[in-house]
Amino acid sequence: MYNKTFKNTPNSELQTPNSPKDHRVVITGLGIVSSIGVGKEEFWENCLQGISGIRPIRGFDVSLYRSRLGAQLPEIDFKAFIKPANLRRMDRIGRIVVSTVRLALDDSGIDLRREDPNRMGILIGTGLGSSDTVDQFFRSLLKDGPTGAAPLLFQTAVPNAIASHCSIEYGIKGINLTFSHKETSTEMAMAFAYHLLKEGRADIILAGGGDELSEPLYHVYSMLSALSPGRGKGLEGMRPFGQDRNGIVLGEGGGILVLETLEHAEKRGSKIYAEMAGVGLSGSTDGILRYDLKGDSIAKAMSLAAKEPSTVDYISAAANSTPDLDRAETLAIKKVFGERAKEISVSGLKSMLGEFDGSGGIRACGVALTLFHGLIPPTIGTEHLDPQCDLDVILGQSKKREIRSALLNGCSNGGSNISVWFKRYE
Amino acid sequence: MRKRVVITGLGVVSAVGNSIPEFWNSLIEGKDGTKEITVFDPSPYRTKMAAEVSDFEPEAHFSKKEIRRLSRCDHFGIVAFREAWKSARFDQASLDKEKVGVVLGAGSGGILSVEKYFRDFYQGLKRSSPSFLISYSLATTTDHIAIESGLKGPRTTTATVCSSSSASIGVAYEMIQTGLTDVMVTGGSDSLCEVSYSGFGSLKLIDPESCKPFDKRRQGLIIGEGAGILILEELEHALGRDAPIRSELLGYGICADAYHLTAPEPNGEGVERVIRIALDHAGITPEEVDTINAHGTATPFNDIAETRGIKRVFGERAKEIPISGIKSMVGHCLGSAGGIEAVATVLTLESGVIPPTIHYEVPDPLCDLNYTPNQSIKRDVRAALSNSFAFGGNNVCLVFKKFSSE
Repeated sequence: MYNKTFKNTPNSELQTPNSPKDHRVVITGLGIVSSIGVGKEEFWENCLQGISGIRPIRGFDVSLYRSRLGAQLPEIDFKAFIKPANLRRMDRIGRIVVSTVRLALDDSGIDLRREDPNRMGILIGTGLGSSDTVDQFFRSLLKDGPTGAAPLLFQTAVPNAIASHCSIEYGIKGINLTFSHKETSTEMAMAFAYHLLKEGRADIILAGGGDELSEPLYHVYSMLSALSPGRGKGLEGMRPFGQDRNGIVLGEGGGILVLETLEHAEKRGSKIYAEMAGVGLSGSTDGILRYDLKGDSIAKAMSLAAKEPSTVDYISAAANSTPDLDRAETLAIKKVFGERAKEISVSGLKSMLGEFDGSGGIRACGVALTLFHGLIPPTIGTEHLDPQCDLDVILGQSKKREIRSALLNGCSNGGSNISVWFKRYE
Repeated sequence: MRKRVVITGLGVVSAVGNSIPEFWNSLIEGKDGTKEITVFDPSPYRTKMAAEVSDFEPEAHFSKKEIRRLSRCDHFGIVAFREAWKSARFDQASLDKEKVGVVLGAGSGGILSVEKYFRDFYQGLKRSSPSFLISYSLATTTDHIAIESGLKGPRTTTATVCSSSSASIGVAYEMIQTGLTDVMVTGGSDSLCEVSYSGFGSLKLIDPESCKPFDKRRQGLIIGEGAGILILEELEHALGRDAPIRSELLGYGICADAYHLTAPEPNGEGVERVIRIALDHAGITPEEVDTINAHGTATPFNDIAETRGIKRVFGERAKEIPISGIKSMVGHCLGSAGGIEAVATVLTLESGVIPPTIHYEVPDPLCDLNYTPNQSIKRDVRAALSNSFAFGGNNVCLVFKKFSSE
């Protein structure tokens, strides 16, 4: 049967039994572990109130750095989310993301016993994964040589351990992949999930991911001059689109979307937060640590994603309080939307969460909640907008607004730019 | 309707050769790339051997300034990319670089550079430059390649270690399906480093002598390094520019064992599933598969699970399918394994020569298929699989076919 189909096809097309269909993709569950709340309700309430997760760093000594701040997670009892036998094998980032998956699954109402595990998938993005575990492992190696190498650390230190933990914990056997590409890691996971679900290659995909703030990671960012306040005299802090912004404040956390074909969600009678309706992927080539300086690539990603640009009412910005990115994103938004740019509400959740590679999962949950509730969280920390960032940035207070569709942007230093388009679901 | 995807460029750096001709000649001659490690001091280790890349001079490819900012992983990836790119014979003037993307698979990435930095740092020495830390992210090699050639299509990096650069090929395939790209640079790069070497050693997964896939005496991996880069191209685009078409990528499968963090599901259930998903996606039956480039790590467990999985799919016919365990020659190249092995699979289809599994002397009754022992064989092959199974049961299977225009 397959043979015949294959041999009779014209040159440029391949017809197979699973030729691409066109499913609609919806969001049916949200899992969030963040510095401003664990679980959807706590997160959203604090988000709308403009609560900041940024505080002085706890747990390691930062006195040798100019930077002192971070948006760290509260103490979390992971036993509440993960089976003890599996918990033991996980490092902290593994626990964070697996807990996030638990929260997402609970929120979605999915009964795993009634689902075909082969039709469920997990796509995880993490920029720096088990940075702490790898560091611990390496330091033991330095101290004691190869006999100091701990196998139990190594097996959880690989970047795909997070996704493996999830698949083992929940018995999920379908598509399973880990992306690690700086600040577009989780956006890529979501974009790939969208593509696969659209084609009906799975019924449900848990997509998102996270990153943790560890001591070695803090050191690396500091040595690469990424952290606020930089070398100048300005204040340390996150001020997306703000005047005198001078670098990032690191954060940590995990965010997972339960993405599902509309068909499957309706069969389950699930609630639906929003629809994921488009993705755009593009690359810029300004340099190994440089964002898309002119904004052309970011613009392209947004244009590709937003199939109905005139309905875009909100953009969840990638802006991370760096001079380059915030300006580039502004240019990009103007390039895409022209005059209409002024009518689009823009907000930067990194102002509350800090910047970390895997922030896109949480920010995507935020977009889903914005669409669902018609409320846009503020960009805190920014008092005066940079005149070059003359967008309608929501400052101070959250804003009530019915959003028809929204974009989530992810932009990496080094040049990957991804935009995900969400529509209000009716 | 799906778009057809073909391979129009190949590049490689490996323990048995730093170019496609050298690599392929070594493979078909059954040359072993295992040697004593020089990239770091192996004396504290119980085992001293690895499939290390040799005769590779960064000075021949990069300026002094570039060398300092690039990791060993970057070196391999960029050099293999340059070979692949050149072999694809693009007309640079007419190529739309907005529609050329890069998806690579990573293992440890530039961690060797990071080790260098932190070794100095933790010993209180301030001599290592922070520029070593640019390699902290697994995105780095991917970005260097894109930046060097001005490639403005989609860009990302997969990170599933042992199956990473096979998975990246699947992702690249999908990117072409979206119509966002005509051409994708894919595969992967990885280098030896102490973290990986000691990590696998601590799990007692390293053979002290050589990699002997499917052999009863096998004791595990020989860690390798290098890069395998493929240029994927949408068929009409390739035909339109009269591109050199090396093979066709029909489809792929990715799935999870959901079994254990390091050991494979022992009955080959995960292996069976991923092969079936790949064949289904590719639209071919098991009967059409003529050869398999095995994952074949020579760990006690993988080789059994893989054998069982292959039998579950192919039944009686399994014994007639020549299987290549080229890790016996190039080692387990971790993040670049999938890419290097995909390159070998394409070359197998193109040349009609199936590379051997060397060091095969004592058959294991639990591994009783045809592993092309020690000598390559000439055989016209229509379709080939390449298997890659990572820690945590992250399984990938790629399906390649000899290209024909109908």
